Amino acid sequence: MNKWTKFAGSALIAGTMLSATTVKADEIVIGFATAESGFMQAYDKPAQDAAMIRIDEINKAGGLLGKQIKVVTADTKTDRAEGAKAGLEVLDKGAELVVVSCDYDFGAPAALAAQAAGKVSFFLCAESIKAGIQGVGPFSFSASVLAPVQGATMAEWSYNKKGARTYYRLLDTWTEYNKGICDGFDWMLPKLSDAKLVGSDTFKNEDASIAAQITRIKSLDKEPDAIMLCSMMPGVVSAIKQIRAAGINSMILNGSGVDGSYWLDAVPDLSNFFVPVQASIYGDDPNPDVTKFNETYTKVTGGAPSSQYVYPGYILIDVWSKAVERAGSTDAAAVVAELEKMRDEPTLFGPRTFTSEIHHQNKGRYHIVEINAGKPGIVDTHTISEAIPLEALLK
Amino acid sequence: MQKPVSILSRTISTPVILSVILLGVAMLAVIGNSGPFNQTVIDIFVRVILVVGLYVFIGNSGVISFGHIGFTCLGAYATAWFTIPPMMKKILLPGLPEFVSQINMPLLPSLICSALFAGVFALIFGRILMRLSGIAASIATFAMLAVINTIYSNWEGVTGATSSVVGIPIHRSIWPYFAASVVAVFIAYFYAISRSGLALRAARDEATAASASGVNITRERLIAFVLSGTLMGLGGALYAHSVGVVTPDTFYLGLTFTTLAMLVVGGMSSLSGAVVGVVVISLIIQVLRWLEKGVTLGESTLSIPNGVQEIAIGVVMIVILMFRPTGLMRNRELLWTGWPFNRISGKTARE
Repeated sequence: MNKWTKFAGSALIAGTMLSATTVKADEIVIGFATAESGFMQAYDKPAQDAAMIRIDEINKAGGLLGKQIKVVTADTKTDRAEGAKAGLEVLDKGAELVVVSCDYDFGAPAALAAQAAGKVSFFLCAESIKAGIQGVGPFSFSASVLAPVQGATMAEWSYNKKGARTYYRLLDTWTEYNKGICDGFDWMLPKLSDAKLVGSDTFKNEDASIAAQITRIKSLDKEPDAIMLCSMMPGVVSAIKQIRAAGINSMILNGSGVDGSYWLDAVPDLSNFFVPVQASIYGDDPNPDVTKFNETYTKVTGGAPSSQYVYPGYILIDVWSKAVERAGSTDAAAVVAELEKMRDEPTLFGPRTFTSEIHHQNKGRYHIVEINAGKPGIVDTHTISEAIPLEALLK
Repeated sequence: MQKPVSILSRTISTPVILSVILLGVAMLAVIGNSGPFNQTVIDIFVRVILVVGLYVFIGNSGVISFGHIGFTCLGAYATAWFTIPPMMKKILLPGLPEFVSQINMPLLPSLICSALFAGVFALIFGRILMRLSGIAASIATFAMLAVINTIYSNWEGVTGATSSVVGIPIHRSIWPYFAASVVAVFIAYFYAISRSGLALRAARDEATAASASGVNITRERLIAFVLSGTLMGLGGALYAHSVGVVTPDTFYLGLTFTTLAMLVVGGMSSLSGAVVGVVVISLIIQVLRWLEKGVTLGESTLSIPNGVQEIAIGVVMIVILMFRPTGLMRNRELLWTGWPFNRISGKTARE
C-alpha cells in the first residue's frame, strides 16, 4: 500500500537521522536558539553577529577556562512551538549557555526549556522584566536595559538639562515594550517637583492617521515642552511625521526603539528629537573602543550596525564568560551566583548589575542622541538618580 | 433469519488501526530518544487532536468551519488559569475572579475542565451558528474566531492581552499526549457511528431527504459542534502544556489554515484521513527540516537551502490533491477484517 511505504520510509529516514552530537572535553558549547527565518530574524541576526564577535575574541585569546567555545544553532522560525524545540535541540548538543530570541514572547519557550534543564539562558535584547527571574526562572537573564529605564531617563534628563516642565504622553498600545517606556516615564514624572503632565493619549502602531490625537495636542493652551512618544517601528515614523507636519515643535522624547538613521529620510530635517542609546552607532561614542567595535562589526558582517540593539549580544557573552572564569566552571548555579555578584560591572557598552531579584538593568547608563536637522549625534550621558523598584516594574 | 452485522463490529478496526499508527509514532520518539524529536512527536499528537476535532464537525456535517481554533484558544487559556501557581497568577492576571486564582489543578483535571470550558462556549455559539448553513455558516464561524481573538488580545487583567502568559507547567513526556490523541480518535469514532453521527452524515449527503426522514439537522449539527469544540479545547490545553507559553496570536489564522490543510490533504470526510493527514504531513515537514540542516550520507553532506521546507510542503500538498482530490484516504476508512476482527464480526454474521 502506497501510504504504508511512505510511512515506513519516513520512519526509516527519521530513525537514521537521529544521531546525537558529542561534546568534546576541550570545548564549551554555547547554543543559539534564535530566529534564522521569519520576522524576528531582523532583530536576532545583528545581536547574534555581535555575540559571535565576542566569542571569536575569546577563542583567539585562548578560550574560556582554557577551552575553545563551540557554537551550535537552531532555528526558531519565529514560532513559539518551534522555539521550544530549538531550545531543546541546542541543549541536546550540550549547550552550557542558551541564547534566545530578542523578544520576550518568542524567546521564552527556549528559555523555559533551558531553565527546566538547569542551564543559563540569556535573551539577546529583551527589555521586559519578564525576561528573567519573573517570567522564566532564576537561571534566565537579559543583556539589555529595561524599557521603563528609557522612559524614566528621558523624563529626568529633559527636566534637568532641557528645562522641560510640561509633558504630553503619547502611547502606542501595540507592544509591551511601548507600554514599558511609558510606565517608566509615569514612575519618574511625579518625582520631578514642578513637572506637569498636561495631557495623555494613545494610538495604535498600525493607525494611518493620528489626526485626532494631534488635534488634542493643538488645542492645549500652550504647546507642551516635551512629548513622550512611547512607540516603535514601523508606525512611529508616520506619527513623528504627522506631529511635525501639524506644526508642533515640542521636543520629542523616545525609547531606544527608534535608534538608527535608516528612517530619517522619511522625515526630512527632523530636529529637537531625542533618543536614549546604550552606545553610539554614529562613530561619536565617548568610548573609542565602541567605534573600534563598530569597525570590526562592519568588517565581519559587511554592514555597519543599524541600531544600538546589536550591542547587547556582545555584552551577554562578555558578562557570562566573566562569570564562568570567576566561578571556575560552567555549572549553572555557580555561574548564576557569580553573575548576581556583579555591581556596575564595566562592559564595552555600559555597566551591568545583576542581583538575586532582578536579572536585568533597572538603572543603566544612557547616552542621549539628539537629531538636529536630520543629523544624529550624542549630546549627553545620563543615569537616572534612582533605580526603578521591582514593584513599579511588575505593574 | 440472519441478523444484520452491527456497525460497531464491522468498523471497530478503524480506531484500533489509527491508535496503532499513533503508537508507532510514539515508538519513534522512544527509539529516537532526543529532546527536539520528542517535542516534534508531541506536536504531532497535539495536531492529531486538533484535526480530529475539526473532522468531528467538518467531516460529519460537511460545513467548513474557520472558527474552531477559537475553541483551542479558550482551552489553552483555561488550562493556564487552572494550573499556573496562584502566586504568579495574582501578579500576571490580576483580573481573574478570586476562586479561579486560588485554583491549582494537576494536569488531568485541568485538561478535562479546559475541554469542558471550550465545550460550553461551543454550545453557546453553536446555538446561534448552527441555524445557518453553507458559506454563511463558514463565514459566521470565522467571525466567531475574530471575536474570540479580539477579546483575548485586549482583556488585560484576565488574559494578559497580547503579552505571553507564562508559568504553565510544561510536560515533556509523550504519553499524556499520546493517550489524549487516542481518546480523541475513539470519541470521534463513536460519535461517527452514533445515531446522531449517522443522521448528520445523511444530512450532509442529502439534506432534503434527511430532513424529510425526520432528521433535525440543526440539532445534530449542534451536537457535533459542541463535541468538536470540546476536542479542540483539549488540544489547546495540551498545546499550552507542551510549550509553556500562550498568546492569542498563536491561535489565529496560521493554525486555522495549517489544521484545515492537514484535514483536506488526509481526506475531509474520514477519520482515518484526519489522522493520516497529520502524520504524513508532519513527517514530511520533519524530513525536509533535517535536509535543510544537512544530512551526512557517507562522505557527502546532503542539504537543501533554508526556507525550502515551506515551499516544498506546499508543492507536496498540491501534488497529493492533484492525484487524490478527495485526500490521501479518498474519504475511506482504514479497515482490517482479518484476525482478530473477523472473529467478532464473523460470529455476529453467522448468528
